[in-house]
Amino acid sequence: MLISNIKSRPVYERLAIDGAGRRHLVLSDAPRPLGEVIDGTESAGAPLAYWVVAGTSAVDGQPQTGPAGNAAEVETRAFRAAAHLFDRLTHRLGQETVGLRLYAVGEEGFIWEVAKLARAAGLETEECRTAHAGSLRRRVFCVHCKTITEGVTTSLAACAGCGAQLVVRDHFSRSHAAFMGVQADAEAPGDLPPVEELFP
Amino acid sequence: MMAQTIALRVAAVTPLSPTLKAFTFVPAAGGLVPPSGPGAHLRLFLRDGAKLHKNAYSLIANPADRSHLSIIVRRVAASKGGSAFLHEQVGEGDVIEAGLPANLFPVTRTARRHLMVSGGIGVTPFLAYIAAFAAEGTPWQLHHFCRPDEREVFAALLAPYAGGSLHIHCDGTLDGLDAALRRQPLGTHLYTCGPESLMGAVLGQAQALGWPKVRLHSESFGGAVAGGEPFIAVLKRSGIEVAVDAETGLLDAIEAAGVEAPCLCRGGACGQCLIEVADGVPEHRDHFLDAEERASNRFIMTCVSRSRTPRLVLDL
Repeated sequence: MLISNIKSRPVYERLAIDGAGRRHLVLSDAPRPLGEVIDGTESAGAPLAYWVVAGTSAVDGQPQTGPAGNAAEVETRAFRAAAHLFDRLTHRLGQETVGLRLYAVGEEGFIWEVAKLARAAGLETEECRTAHAGSLRRRVFCVHCKTITEGVTTSLAACAGCGAQLVVRDHFSRSHAAFMGVQADAEAPGDLPPVEELFP
Repeated sequence: MMAQTIALRVAAVTPLSPTLKAFTFVPAAGGLVPPSGPGAHLRLFLRDGAKLHKNAYSLIANPADRSHLSIIVRRVAASKGGSAFLHEQVGEGDVIEAGLPANLFPVTRTARRHLMVSGGIGVTPFLAYIAAFAAEGTPWQLHHFCRPDEREVFAALLAPYAGGSLHIHCDGTLDGLDAALRRQPLGTHLYTCGPESLMGAVLGQAQALGWPKVRLHSESFGGAVAGGEPFIAVLKRSGIEVAVDAETGLLDAIEAAGVEAPCLCRGGACGQCLIEVADGVPEHRDHFLDAEERASNRFIMTCVSRSRTPRLVLDL
């Protein structure tokens, strides 16, 4: 019941700069060296920016410019939290023109939120690439009460909205950026399978 | 299975220039014309004595207006007969058989904004696009390229939509396009229709400026020549051999031999006429097969492609 052949479970590949792009923006939900998250930065041949969620109030709001890999310059900018990055991203996308390539690396909640903002701004799937890094914990969408429960690492989790014990399925919704959760004991109340740590 | 057809009466013929004529059709039986969408085309079955021309023309009126269908036809010097027949022999009141409108060049509905680039008579699908965009309030921009002597003709056609979104270029270059391609907001899709050389240049320029293929759309109006080296098409399943001469297309020759073959656009775009090749090497002239499929030589689009080998064995 838990892990099946559900096709909506995203499959990720390592990120690489799309040489056809005229401007590149790479986003990460945690401080990581740029070369660790994406290939081809040295031959980007176009302006490259790297936005990082620092997860601390002690950030310098000013963009820092420095070399990336061998040749290209990269403009790095740190954000206190993901919410701040999303806010600036929405603003930036609203002013962008065709030719931009967007890349996001991080936990699924983060990268699919980026994908959602990109889609809302008119970017095509081909122009926004995502890769997973970090914890496998899931955002779970309760199909009964529509509440999203964050940071689920176990096969069974209590819904933050209605409190139902939800089975976390592999069924993934790109628009909710969340996995589907279905009440585990709907047919036999109280009859729950053992809880396993599946998404560390 | 025969495609469904409709009898259309010519309601008006309007000369626009020495080589351009607009035709307006209404259903011969009365009522509304069949539904279509922006970018759709109409196939006319033109009976010119013993010859039957099957020509496709873009519909130019707002598809939401079901009172009539309109096309513009350029009389081509090297016409296979269809455009000359329409220009010289078809007048008001005549009834013509037509296929139902089909659309191989639809508007991308998820696009926020539409950038159109046309060359000469390639503007026709965009007349329907703009009519629909204007009615819906969708942002658009058109860059039209034409010869200086036809500027006034096209300016008059586009006059109902004249404004900041409309640019007519007659300098013989695509220089006017560069700035537009660099400045389109995210969500813009690009459409081009016109001579192959213009479309190739537009798409190349857009890709060089970072436009991904998914944002690029084009429609060829069948400038490709049908002729080439003669060859023999062996129809394996029908058990016959068809001689394809230098002037006739493969699909036309197959049909002339009485064999029904799948087809739709007859311009190498839609993919309906795909046939498996059992032996021989096709000369690919279509826009449908990808590079890998072409290289495999396992398929042919019979409407436009020919053979590199003296015999071509088809699974038909």
